[in-house]
Amino acid sequence: MNQKGSFAKYLNRMGWFFVAPALILFSVFMLYPILSSLYLVTRKWKGFTDSFIGLGNFVRMANDSLFWNALGNNFFLMLIQIPIMVFLALVLAVVLNQGIRRFRGAFRLMFFLPCVTSLVAYSILFRILLQTNGMANNIMLDLNLLSEPIGWLNDSFWAKMTIIIALTWRWTGYNMMFFLVGLQNIDSEIYEAAEVDGASKIYQFFRITLPLLVPVILFSIVTSTSGMLQLFDEPNILTNQGGPANATMTAALYIYRQAFVINSDFGYATALSYMIVILAGLFAWLQIRLLGGNKK
Amino acid sequence: MSVVTPRSFSRLIIWILLIIGAFLCIFPFYWMAVGMTLNPNDVVKGILVPGNEFLKNVEKATANYNLPQFFLNSMIIATVTVLVGVSVNALAAYGFEKFPSKARDWLFGVLLLTLIIPQIAIVIPLFRLVAFFGLLDTHSAIILPFLMSAFVIFFLRQNFSMFPTEIMEAGRVDGAGELRIFVQIAMPAMKASFASAGILMFISQWNSYLWPLMTILTDANKTLPIAMSSMMNAYTIEYGGLMVILTVSVIPVLVVFLAMQKQFVAGLLGSVK
Repeated sequence: MNQKGSFAKYLNRMGWFFVAPALILFSVFMLYPILSSLYLVTRKWKGFTDSFIGLGNFVRMANDSLFWNALGNNFFLMLIQIPIMVFLALVLAVVLNQGIRRFRGAFRLMFFLPCVTSLVAYSILFRILLQTNGMANNIMLDLNLLSEPIGWLNDSFWAKMTIIIALTWRWTGYNMMFFLVGLQNIDSEIYEAAEVDGASKIYQFFRITLPLLVPVILFSIVTSTSGMLQLFDEPNILTNQGGPANATMTAALYIYRQAFVINSDFGYATALSYMIVILAGLFAWLQIRLLGGNKK
Repeated sequence: MSVVTPRSFSRLIIWILLIIGAFLCIFPFYWMAVGMTLNPNDVVKGILVPGNEFLKNVEKATANYNLPQFFLNSMIIATVTVLVGVSVNALAAYGFEKFPSKARDWLFGVLLLTLIIPQIAIVIPLFRLVAFFGLLDTHSAIILPFLMSAFVIFFLRQNFSMFPTEIMEAGRVDGAGELRIFVQIAMPAMKASFASAGILMFISQWNSYLWPLMTILTDANKTLPIAMSSMMNAYTIEYGGLMVILTVSVIPVLVVFLAMQKQFVAGLLGSVK
């Protein structure tokens, strides 16, 4: 009995030994910053000195129409881009899974290839590609698809489209991979039974494939949503610091600029970032509700 | 499986769409490679046949922009992060999974909770901490905060759950210490998961932008993404040289992807299979 107790103690000590390095790093570089943000958020910076302003940063946030406009851009991009991408990824996955017999591996590889580029690298490539006198316009003008060049980066509508196109290029193959895994987990006997019953391919897709893929689709929407909430690299590089005239300004970029470019007001930037954390928490809660409900 | 009647027309449409899609996916890579051989005007205009300015562009990238230094900086940061980071996270995952206790399970829950917090919210207080340590404009500033990854611990813990505890007990009976059991028995059995975790950490550090943008101040310490993005802010942009740097920044990840596709995808998707 006593020996058993001391062995349990030994195991417990070993457990702490294994997790200790990670916990130390976690405390210093994650917990401490989180706790210190509670202090930062109550301060106001003026040059190199800061003073206490209580909830003043949140009052300022409520009246900051540029911030709300930026957050609105996040939601606009989310609502347009995610459905397009998820639809394309779903079509590709179904076609690669059932529609063709040859070159499946090769197509999967090519569709996934955009994922090897860094967000910075592909943002730069698209920025060069989409200049007014750049290749995309030149090709479409040569093919008579356009009568005059599109201001991909200078027009507030087209700049948003540019971000949507670029994001879709970068992430469709990534989401396709999730769906492929989901499709492969569907038991082929279900389809065989449906064939016997004489169900058409289209009927099979809507009545068997789609319902069984719902959890994977939800997961991919949730992942994309949280990525969109943090969108930073693309608006900073591709559309040159949220331009034109803040048309592609996003919340994360606005916060960065408040802390490092326009002002060095860390207190206000922290208050703004709390808003993003609250939204992220809300989405995470939704995720647990939606995915958890489907697990049963 | 029943025999599918060949409906050649819809087949044709499917193939055309697949080929267009695949073309759009690989075209930017081709254009980037060709761009390395062109003068700046031809890069922008969209000339798609190779020119003869490759050496000139390489020289611009190395002489005017110190590409080797940027590459080295990125490589050191990513490699150290992978070597130390995978070890720290693997030890923690092993500790959480194989030595269960209420207190550690609770802490693991706290770790997972922090996954919700977007990076932009962490980096501001983190910047002040790193400045306080006097680490601004150093490689340590980029490495240290991202060695511990709650996601990697979560990922590895899931994989360790498939590693049978009986083997550990057999090791104990043979008189092996816990660390030795981990290094000599658990680690070799988990190679594939470690590779996935390593690839994930390598890529997120290699591609990292926001945090280095805040902390790196001098040219000599710049990583590839920072160097590339600051080239885009120059008054005259050296597109040819930029294409060389872009290509160099993509190649390591491309090589890892082609060499270890399975682990690469598993790492990126955060799941095995």
